[in-house]
Amino acid sequence: MSLPQALDASALPSIIFTTAAQLVDCVDKRLLVILRDGRKLIGILRSFDQYANLVLQDTVERIVVDSLYNDQPRGVYIIRGENVVLVGQIDPEKESSPSMTEVSLDEIYAAQQKESDERKRKEEVKTGKLIDLGFSIEPQVEDLY
Amino acid sequence: MLPLTLLNISQGHPMLVELKSGETLNGHLVNCDAWMNLTLEEVVQTNADGTRFFRLPECYVRGNNIKCLRVPDEVLELAREKNQQQREESRQNRNSNQNYGNRGGNGGYNNNRGYNNHNGNSQRGGGYNRGGGRGGGQFRGGMNRGGRGGY
Amino acid sequence: MLFFSFYKTLIDEVVIVELKNDMSVRGTLKSVDQFLNIKLDDISVLDEIKYPHLSSVKNIFIRGSVVRYVHLPAAVVDTTLLEDASRKEAAAQAAKAGGR
Repeated sequence: MSLPQALDASALPSIIFTTAAQLVDCVDKRLLVILRDGRKLIGILRSFDQYANLVLQDTVERIVVDSLYNDQPRGVYIIRGENVVLVGQIDPEKESSPSMTEVSLDEIYAAQQKESDERKRKEEVKTGKLIDLGFSIEPQVEDLY
Repeated sequence: MLPLTLLNISQGHPMLVELKSGETLNGHLVNCDAWMNLTLEEVVQTNADGTRFFRLPECYVRGNNIKCLRVPDEVLELAREKNQQQREESRQNRNSNQNYGNRGGNGGYNNNRGYNNHNGNSQRGGGYNRGGGRGGGQFRGGMNRGGRGGY
Repeated sequence: MLFFSFYKTLIDEVVIVELKNDMSVRGTLKSVDQFLNIKLDDISVLDEIKYPHLSSVKNIFIRGSVVRYVHLPAAVVDTTLLEDASRKEAAAQAAKAGGR
């Protein structure tokens, strides 16, 4: 069977297509990791494996509500790969002027509480309507990203 | 140095384990294995809301319930020192057939080959392992599947 | 493995990855693996205002399990080739199932 030009193996660059190969150039870089529970952790990637388990050093948890944020230092994290949504490389130039405003911990907690109350209210309305239509809905604990 | 290696090195040290449910367990790591199952000692268990606390002299955590772990900075430093020591040793043993490059490094291709001490999870991709052509079941991915043609 | 191979042919194309949380990210597909984890370079989030936290991020690695869709430019997809490959895959599957 004849392969079209682009699919000729010898013409393709010799990139290794593995999880590890994708993460290897993130090592020792400052990364933003988003977890399934919606948390954003910013830290330096020190190590990883084929399950995308990660080791982050000097990690900061960035709590974000709309365009407000607050950073909390957290130290060293070992993150289990299955909980990761995405890993982003932070551009050091762009980091210095984020499009968000930093606020105090109390402020962000208050904003977070409001957001969570609003989300719960919407969920209740939605669940109520679905139940009326005959569906039965389990409350969503994970996957809040 | 792999994440699970760091976990092994932190045996005896205090740590915080956060479960997928949001509960946290604060205690000393007694033991761990390739599936991230843990045994902890002198544990303080906190519920997801942070409103209730329980003290457990010992507990066992099945790895698949873990969201993440926090370890003290010193443990990472300790791990790096040990890594350095190992590198020094293998440098001295260079003439013998040590798995130098494959064990030490962090990345990509070689690392997957070197990570050969656990067989439990080699089917992680789901379904059965089609990789007759891959050899050993440990090699994941890589180009040149060979013989399929087209896509 | 079919889609893994398919994605490999799309390296360096600009795609839009839609995640299960409704966030969409446009970027150049740089890498893929057997779990269909995706690496995108030079990203831009489609609804920047709603997701400000990604404003300083250029390259991302997305876990395959969180992807809902990958929007592709129609021009780069050779449907005939895909159909052929799918038929072969189906035949191979059937043969395997029959042989067991």
